[in-house]
Amino acid sequence: MADAADEDERRESGRNYSWEEDYKRSWDMLLEDDQGSLQGIVANLQQQQLLLKRRRLNKDTDAVAQRGIIRQLFVVVDQSSAMAELDLRPNRLDCTLNLLEAFVTEFFDQNPLSHVGVTATRDGGAEKWAELSGNPADLVRVFAKRESRQTSGEPSLQNALELARRSLAHVPQHVSREILVVFGSLTSCDPGNLGETIESLASDHIRVSVVGLAAEVQACKRLCSATKGTYGVVMNDAHYKELLFDHIPPPALAVAQQSQSNIIQMGFPIVRTFDLPVLCICHQRPIRRGHICPRCAATICEIPTDCCICSLTLVSSPSLARSYHHLFPVPAFVEVPAAAAASAHPPAPAECFCCLAPFAKQRGPDDAYSLDANGTANGHGAAGSATSATAPHRPGPSAAAGAGSLAAATGAAALAPPSRFACPLCKTQVCLECDVYIHDVLHNCPGCLSGGHPAGR
Amino acid sequence: MKFEVDGLPVLFPYEYIYPEQYAYMLDIKRTLDAQGHCLLEMPSGTGKTISLLSLIVAYQQHYPEKRKLIYCSRTVPEIEKALAELQRLMAYRASHGRNEAFLGVGLTSRRNLCIHPRVSKEKRGSLTDAQCRNLTSPWVREAAKSDPEIELCEFYETLEGADMSATVPSGVYTIEDLKEYSQSKKYCPYFLARRLLPFANVIIYSYHYLLDPKVADLVSRELSKDCIVVFDEAHNIDNVCTESLSIDISRPILEASARSVADLSQRIDRMKVSNAEKLQSEYSMLLEGLRNTQEAREAGEIMSNPILPGDILSEAVPGNIRRAEHFVAFLRRFIEYLKASRHMTRMRVMHVVAESPTSFLQHIKEITYIDRKPLRFCAERLASLIRTLEINDLADFRSLQKVASFATLVATYQKGTISHCACICVASAGPFENDLDTIPNPVLHFTCLDATLAIKPVFERFSSVIITSGTLSPMELYPSLLGFEPTVTESYQMTLTRTCFLPLIVTRGSDQVTVSSKFEVRNDPAVVRNYGNILLEFAKITPDGLVCFFPSYLYMESIVSAWNDMGMLNELLKYKLIFIETPDATETSIALENYRQACDNGRGAVLLSVARGKVSEGVDFDHHFGRAVILFGIPYQYTESRILKARLEYLRDNNRIRENDFLTFDAMRHGAQCVGRVLRGKTDYGLMVFADKRFARVDKRTKLPKWILSGITEAGINLSTDMAVSMAKKFLRTMAQPLEGNQLGVSLWDAAEVRRRYPPKDESASAADAPIARVSGHSHYSNGHALVAMDTS
Repeated sequence: MADAADEDERRESGRNYSWEEDYKRSWDMLLEDDQGSLQGIVANLQQQQLLLKRRRLNKDTDAVAQRGIIRQLFVVVDQSSAMAELDLRPNRLDCTLNLLEAFVTEFFDQNPLSHVGVTATRDGGAEKWAELSGNPADLVRVFAKRESRQTSGEPSLQNALELARRSLAHVPQHVSREILVVFGSLTSCDPGNLGETIESLASDHIRVSVVGLAAEVQACKRLCSATKGTYGVVMNDAHYKELLFDHIPPPALAVAQQSQSNIIQMGFPIVRTFDLPVLCICHQRPIRRGHICPRCAATICEIPTDCCICSLTLVSSPSLARSYHHLFPVPAFVEVPAAAAASAHPPAPAECFCCLAPFAKQRGPDDAYSLDANGTANGHGAAGSATSATAPHRPGPSAAAGAGSLAAATGAAALAPPSRFACPLCKTQVCLECDVYIHDVLHNCPGCLSGGHPAGR
Repeated sequence: MKFEVDGLPVLFPYEYIYPEQYAYMLDIKRTLDAQGHCLLEMPSGTGKTISLLSLIVAYQQHYPEKRKLIYCSRTVPEIEKALAELQRLMAYRASHGRNEAFLGVGLTSRRNLCIHPRVSKEKRGSLTDAQCRNLTSPWVREAAKSDPEIELCEFYETLEGADMSATVPSGVYTIEDLKEYSQSKKYCPYFLARRLLPFANVIIYSYHYLLDPKVADLVSRELSKDCIVVFDEAHNIDNVCTESLSIDISRPILEASARSVADLSQRIDRMKVSNAEKLQSEYSMLLEGLRNTQEAREAGEIMSNPILPGDILSEAVPGNIRRAEHFVAFLRRFIEYLKASRHMTRMRVMHVVAESPTSFLQHIKEITYIDRKPLRFCAERLASLIRTLEINDLADFRSLQKVASFATLVATYQKGTISHCACICVASAGPFENDLDTIPNPVLHFTCLDATLAIKPVFERFSSVIITSGTLSPMELYPSLLGFEPTVTESYQMTLTRTCFLPLIVTRGSDQVTVSSKFEVRNDPAVVRNYGNILLEFAKITPDGLVCFFPSYLYMESIVSAWNDMGMLNELLKYKLIFIETPDATETSIALENYRQACDNGRGAVLLSVARGKVSEGVDFDHHFGRAVILFGIPYQYTESRILKARLEYLRDNNRIRENDFLTFDAMRHGAQCVGRVLRGKTDYGLMVFADKRFARVDKRTKLPKWILSGITEAGINLSTDMAVSMAKKFLRTMAQPLEGNQLGVSLWDAAEVRRRYPPKDESASAADAPIARVSGHSHYSNGHALVAMDTS
């Protein structure tokens, strides 16, 4: 009896036995090279990923005059039965909510002046999980609730978007209004014409981006292009995170919004440690360490948030300073072709300015092997581990190894990607790994900060 | 961009060219140089039409002969598309300093062209035709001269009145352009287009204007021998040929024609009283008329019309039908015979009679003493009588005309062309109107079994015929079916930077039971369930549109109702809306419209359709309208059909094509046509699912077009449902990623790349040719205006 009930429940929730799971042809992408080694192909894949990432990072660094640092973002979570699929671990919805937790934390870290709200859609309707709030902890609590993890029915894109649109309607013009939809289903059960909603979103200057979990849906594509958002479909967990976290840097402002400039009040609260626990104003929880609002002296447990007494935006000054780099990004580095580097006068540096790893030349895969160890040894380990700490989606332990094995990928010389990149200002040359690291994590060019490279002086 | 194809300078209105387009042009050029025919298969969505047009126009303008291009397509939208491409090409050529005197026109039916305020409102094509004739036929116009009360078409009158002085500025006229121009000048667009045909450099119209003998005689008779004829989307051309010479006669048609005959005899009686000499003059005119046609034909002016075979012209119209009243009596007797014949009467039992025309004629002679000879003249004689009696409303006489052409055909094609003992009368008990109706509805099918009959004149008359389509494979049968020798037979592959389509051959369900639409197993619950699962699983993972094809309406109905009983349709409705194609055209078009809307709105939809239906032939499912197509079973024809059996027998005896080969050929080309619907360009992507065990067999699989075959991997040949679904999932995800990488040099060539790969041979020679071509271009036309001469007859 119990088994039968179990069986029913399992069936209903759409899960499968592990022997019924999808076919994984993991061996397909791995091809041995002439020596029967897989090293080359693995390195090549990593190389490709880095290159893609670099292209993405450099995509919108140039020619953006203004970015919307103050953002009001609504996250729409698909809670339909399609989210119970197991192609992401542990399932689509759990994976989504776990990632969203990290996303929200990171989001407020980078955009301390912003607010995030959450709506969900299932059974053809939409419900609001959380109003726009400046406090990541509230949102994380919402994501962790048990009922958030249950799926049923079909989603309604239109209902969810309308709900989010109405919530964003009162937000002033200078604020960047955004909706981020996480959409696992391939169908949308709408009460009316989605086209009208898209039009009204576009006329309200609300930017809608969609992260699809299964395949490209035309309606979403249309939605994103009409509202100048981005549309991505995830390949796997790592790619999912990457797509989601792409939405953390603030978007460029639309031309219509650019001309306005406003002065915003905000407070930098003082941190105080209490000897005896006191109740915080916001949650009525006993705390030993709180932030004191500079205007009304209320005790707040976590920042960034809005003061619940005087609704002053409370941020810490370091996190405000952090959002600074969005306005002054590191310029995109220029690829230096191998031929140009060879014929340059004075001769181009032989190693990367940052990690001191020698630039790849035409070498056999054997050389690359020995280099691999060296590369990790001479300082690249630091960059590598830092990268994987902040961006753990990078294929784990081999991230550092990828740098050294650049040359391994150059076995097929014709396909070898450019290995050196130069800063347009100080002319220092760095390797691909460091280029990505500088743009993704550091947000400062080491060459420029250290007074320029000797060659550039 | 500008480049050279084998020494011929070609202007191509796009910045880049696909490698296969270049190869395609090269082969066309070779064909034209050799003055031969060719058979080219080019994947859909790779710019077939534009490469064809730009090469042929370049060829026309480069060489002094200025060979005319006749471009035949299948449907009106396709004609429109080709015209738009041509317009773009000519604009591009003009922007590159080639101000050529050039005329391109499209011709379609009156229904699409008419601008008369009242007539153009008619919904049905036949009504428009009839109304138009009422306003424009010579005797009506004659009568109107004396009686101002009679209404005429002002547009036609202006055109007639414009006479020799009417000119049309050179350029390309799409159907809309032509209507607009005519509106401004108050010309009739339909007749204007017909008059422009002899002067146009490029003519774009439907197959029927060239293949259907009834129409070809009217429209295409004045085309010169060195025209370049192109049949686009020609994968079905043999069926078009056989259909154009086939006639179905049912009991209502016979009754209608009996009424028409009675009407005719009344009219003759009236005319005898009022205008007896007219009948008399017709009697003598008749012979002359035929003789005139004969003279014209000897001069090589008219395309030889299969319905009017050569020797008929040298003979006088037989005496027993020369007089109008005799002819009417003759017709009456013939119709009575048909009504009473065993084909029509012995239908009490579900009985099918099939006989050759010879035996049919033998029998008719025994019973009614009607000879073969007068029967052959039947159609011509009827046309003449209708002219004499000044009958405008031809709609009423449609049935009678059908019977008359049946008579002519049956009498012509049994002996006239001895080797083609081609035509067989098959009378069969047709489908009942509904289940309650137990009275059989017999139909007399007169079926042409030999496609060469209709197309032979085309091949004989025109030196270069290009047959092309996205799906012509298996190609080896076409030359034999159509009776021609291609100089070039080529199938091109698609060069892609990413594989944008994924063919999957699903041979078994997740439970490892093989699936097949084979007759013995198709209703097996396991197969039905597995087919349902395939649909369900793919509906789950495919975004937006999903199209399914079944081998027949019958099977579709039975399997869909079985799915309904299993509750699968309800499950399916969670993921997609369901639309079904029916034999009714209006219903289907409404279903299609809603299907597209559902795809647009993100709800997603499934279209269940039939492999030989309207959807599989003319409708494109580009981009999100068709992300996947599932072929349930191999779309074999209904092999028990008598007509098909007769055709197979004929092909076996005469063309040495085995029955099975032809059936497979036919099934696979339809299958390829169906799956080809999803991929309409290089930015498009789609899944192609072949759900039948038999597709995995080498003899079936290799009959698919080369470009589809190239996408089938070893791993994709023998899949179960779950394997296919997981491959499809991965494919859809990959395709959703933004297009990375540079296509240039791989699947896109610019002019420099073309020059690098095909270095020009002798530039001096081609440079010398060019001025000559341009000079002769101006000698034909004055000041960029084409003269329109009127045939005042």
